[in-house]
Amino acid sequence: MQWLQILVLGLLLGGIYAMMASGLTLLFGVMRVVNLAHAAFILVASYITYALFESLALDPMISLVITMPLMFSLGVVLYLLLFPRLEDSPRYVEMTVLLTFGLALIVEGMLTFTFTGIFRSVRPDYASSAVRIGEIFMPTSQLYAASISFALLIGLGLVLRFTKTGTAIRATMQNRSAAQIVGVNVRRVSALAFGIGMALAGAAGSLLSFMFPFFPARHWQWIALLLALIVLGGMGSIKGAVIGALLLAVASSFVSNTFGPTWSPITFYLTLFLILLIRPQGLFGAKVRL
Amino acid sequence: MPLLEIEDVVAGYSTGPDILTGVTLSIEEGTSYCIVGPNGAGKSTLLRTIAGFLTPRSGEVRLNGATVNSSRPDQMLAAGVCFVPQDASLFPTMTVKENLVMGGYLLNDRSLLRQKLDMVYATFPALAERKAQNAGTLSGGEQQMVTLGRALMVEPKVVMIDEPSLGLAPMIADQIFEKIRGFRELGITVVLVEQNAVKGLNAVEWGFVLDLGSLEFEGPADGILGDPRIRELYLGKQLTQREG
Repeated sequence: MQWLQILVLGLLLGGIYAMMASGLTLLFGVMRVVNLAHAAFILVASYITYALFESLALDPMISLVITMPLMFSLGVVLYLLLFPRLEDSPRYVEMTVLLTFGLALIVEGMLTFTFTGIFRSVRPDYASSAVRIGEIFMPTSQLYAASISFALLIGLGLVLRFTKTGTAIRATMQNRSAAQIVGVNVRRVSALAFGIGMALAGAAGSLLSFMFPFFPARHWQWIALLLALIVLGGMGSIKGAVIGALLLAVASSFVSNTFGPTWSPITFYLTLFLILLIRPQGLFGAKVRL
Repeated sequence: MPLLEIEDVVAGYSTGPDILTGVTLSIEEGTSYCIVGPNGAGKSTLLRTIAGFLTPRSGEVRLNGATVNSSRPDQMLAAGVCFVPQDASLFPTMTVKENLVMGGYLLNDRSLLRQKLDMVYATFPALAERKAQNAGTLSGGEQQMVTLGRALMVEPKVVMIDEPSLGLAPMIADQIFEKIRGFRELGITVVLVEQNAVKGLNAVEWGFVLDLGSLEFEGPADGILGDPRIRELYLGKQLTQREG
């Protein structure tokens, strides 16, 4: 039964990864922007959650109600401030990579300035308890975090599938110029996608805050992992990001269990390496030319 | 008052040079037009500028007398100016029906949407047969039909079509031009851009000859086709070759 235990733990972790990755891939799908600051913004939400917990003893899961809208607004404002002026640039991709890399550095610097570089973590009661179902143990924190992630992902799926805005977002992801032709205001859709991506980053940040200790430079590890996930799934494919996240989280759980936790990160980078070699468009990605 | 007035428009892409160097022309409601001219004359650029994909660097684009220089593509479409670009811009993994429904994105009335859909199927029976098929799997001619059908979804005043025959076999291209001629009976003003000047001009009433970013000549389409001087100067070799 040990394999089942490892599988369950992998899936729980994969749920959070899936939510982190889907925000990133959504943004890429709509705007063709790889937001290298995505994980840095996740950390911003973690620190907000931390501050709220320390000052008001606010439960980190409740702080989602604050971090999600806050990050959504920040995303829309950042988009409108920074991106439209790059739209006509013949070096759009290069510019946006530099821009988001710069954003990540700025965010990291501001976090270090405000919260210093030491490890922080949010410790509500459930952070150190576990739930037992039959033979399977599940850390309560991961169970909660994964449940909320899956609920948010399903919500995202429903919005994309059944609302007019969702249709506009999907159309823009498939063919930006065709979306423009049929009357989609792609700038508005991009701003919304940036907002939604950031709201998901906000939720992820709040949930991660009680799962792992964090420090300002932690985001480099996260973004590397997230890039591996979305490249595996196919950049711009939300379905791919979710499946990629679950696959890799489970795989890394098994690697960690078999060879020791030190080897767990190699799962992501080895997969990234192999997928780029064998199927660069990923599992569900369309071949895109930038 | 003309439907569209283009006055001394200068336009180009991002930081590049001026492609249009001062175009002046007007489009009357209910007439059909074809813009011809050599490669690089600025034909596509002119359509993109009118459709709101490019903002004029100077000059004016007026729709029903109102300046629309800084209108976005979605605003131009809502105002009745529909653009059909040359690379059949479809949603490849959506079905034909979903693509057509996307064409009605600006319509908020579901029954109107259904009514328009039926109208498009009646105009393009071939699309009704393939409505459940993914657009990406259609042939070039069928994809062009979808883009034309999609343009009809919003009941446009004017449809601007960029190179509808591009990459199509001559027989298929003829079918497309036949459909475009049919747009006139639906009360839609058509503005074509066409590399194949003979086919393009044959499908319309009025021709514009564009060269080096400005209007060189305009007149009745059959007049342009029959004028040896214009053929020599602007339609030149390409035309005689194609005529064989």
